Amino acid sequence: MSLLAADARAFVAAARKELRMWRRYPLFILGLLFWPIVLPATWVLMGQAYSGGGDARALAAFAERAGTTEFAGFVFVGYAMYMWLSNLLWGPGTALRQEQIRGSLEAVFLTPTSRLVALFAPPISHLPFSLLNFVTMGLTLWLVFGIVLPLGPVLEAMVVIAIGIPSMYAIGSLFAASVLRFGETGPIVQLVRGTFVLACGITFPLVMLPGWAQAGAALLPPTYIVADIRTVLFRGVGLGGIAIDLVLLLAFAGLITLLAVWVFRILETSARRRGTLGSY
Amino acid sequence: MTATAAEPAVDARGLVKVFERGRRTFWQRLRGEPDRRERFHAVDGIDLRVERGEIFGLLGPNGAGKTTTMKMLATLLIPTSGTISVLGIDVLARPRDVRARLGAMLSGERSLYWKLTARENLEYFAALYHVPPRQTRARIDDALTSVKLLDRADDYVERYSTGMRQRLALARALLPDPPLVILDEPTVGLDPQAARDLRARVRELRSQGRTVLLTTHYMEEADQLCDRVAIIDHGRIVALDTPGALKRTIRAEEVVRLEIGLADDGAAVLERLGRSATVARSERHNGTLAVTAHCASARDFVPAAFDAARSAGATIQHVEVVPVTLEDVFISLTGRALRE
Repeated sequence: MSLLAADARAFVAAARKELRMWRRYPLFILGLLFWPIVLPATWVLMGQAYSGGGDARALAAFAERAGTTEFAGFVFVGYAMYMWLSNLLWGPGTALRQEQIRGSLEAVFLTPTSRLVALFAPPISHLPFSLLNFVTMGLTLWLVFGIVLPLGPVLEAMVVIAIGIPSMYAIGSLFAASVLRFGETGPIVQLVRGTFVLACGITFPLVMLPGWAQAGAALLPPTYIVADIRTVLFRGVGLGGIAIDLVLLLAFAGLITLLAVWVFRILETSARRRGTLGSY
Repeated sequence: MTATAAEPAVDARGLVKVFERGRRTFWQRLRGEPDRRERFHAVDGIDLRVERGEIFGLLGPNGAGKTTTMKMLATLLIPTSGTISVLGIDVLARPRDVRARLGAMLSGERSLYWKLTARENLEYFAALYHVPPRQTRARIDDALTSVKLLDRADDYVERYSTGMRQRLALARALLPDPPLVILDEPTVGLDPQAARDLRARVRELRSQGRTVLLTTHYMEEADQLCDRVAIIDHGRIVALDTPGALKRTIRAEEVVRLEIGLADDGAAVLERLGRSATVARSERHNGTLAVTAHCASARDFVPAAFDAARSAGATIQHVEVVPVTLEDVFISLTGRALRE
């Protein structure tokens, strides 16, 4: 077995281990079903109230800015991205931090497997939960708000999500790496998640932001993912119309992954010098 | 470079590890203030050679530098200076190759996943140790058998006792079938039976031809288990030999421990005791003077001690005659007990 194959097997084992541990807490699934329904539904109801219960002029004004009159779908897609981001910013970093506190991080680092397995495997283990979020939200849109999403655009949205996965997981890994230096990353995660929510058009059309903020948003992968999912689902534009965005997403994934690996290597070496790998 | 049988299992030279004590704030860094943190030598120039096939112990009190040394050997810490070769491989240049040949148990039961079963824990670590898939099941069964946990393999680790978790941590260290096993305080926190059980497992490792390097602050453990012992204090090795040879460095046949009740500072009684034995250690606490004395014959010294106490107006409350132990060696070298 080559070193790469052995590391790939270790990667799968690490992701499987995380999933096994989640399975021991079945009530966790309740949260996964509850929040994706309640949180966006609240915003949709607020939108309905603020627009006079779906007044035609209000909807037209919204469509002018958002490109669609489906504001419930608009909000749900935004919140799907929000939940995904939350999972990624909290999940991998927390997993690495728990390993550190438990004392198992040192045990993992005593093995010959690549240290990057510990960095990238936990984010992947969160993928099923994020997919469950998307499915729950899709079902809620259909069953509660009566929005039927045609199969073709849904499949195209899944392609957008699939292409967005590497860049999103690279962001999660980048934050996980910071655990080795800072221990608790909660405050940083709060700051970054808030910035993403504000800058990436999670709950409102991006044109509402000032020009300089829109330029900043163009440097963040979630901006493209959320906009492109809305485009294929609600504006009838095919994948061809967003091809440049998809290429950009792949480029972001490469860049952020390299950055995450670089940061992780620096911080891991620093932790080995300072003796903080196993510190509380 | 590959290891040959002639090369030692561990060869460390001039090993130093310096840590900074205290914090240097962000603002201090930003203002470019000089770094005024205290430098603390956790390991201060250790030379260590562990031969293949032996059980080698690092014996010392808490904070002596044992764990720091182990972590440097295991690639978890980068030394400030010095060189380390493990099984003929340079630890700093090829850490991954070292880890592939090393079984280590450093943080014991804490390092396991309590929400997984023993088998699930070992399946995960077998993959991390790059155990070939076809060998994984047999390797896990062998490791569990060797620590006598095969019948509890499918229980969650959270349902294990501390001793069982320690044994499982040892089983994990055996997964890569390593020629060198390093164990940091393997029996700490265990009840006497569980500790005996684990020591028996460690002896089996030697009989399988493996080298074992362990740390302990239990003198009995070092005495019973180790072929050679390095006594470590304040980051330095203060003595290194077989347990028997180390004990022979004490110029005494027997050790007498006394507890003397007195009203003064005890200087007079100590002076008198010193005429017929070597007072290795004395400690005054709540009107009682605890004395450890090295002597040629307890039969001669004990009556003399009673006379000395009586003439100084003190009372001997407790007498204990024990054979020379590694603790006495430590006391004679440092003037302190291992547990202080």
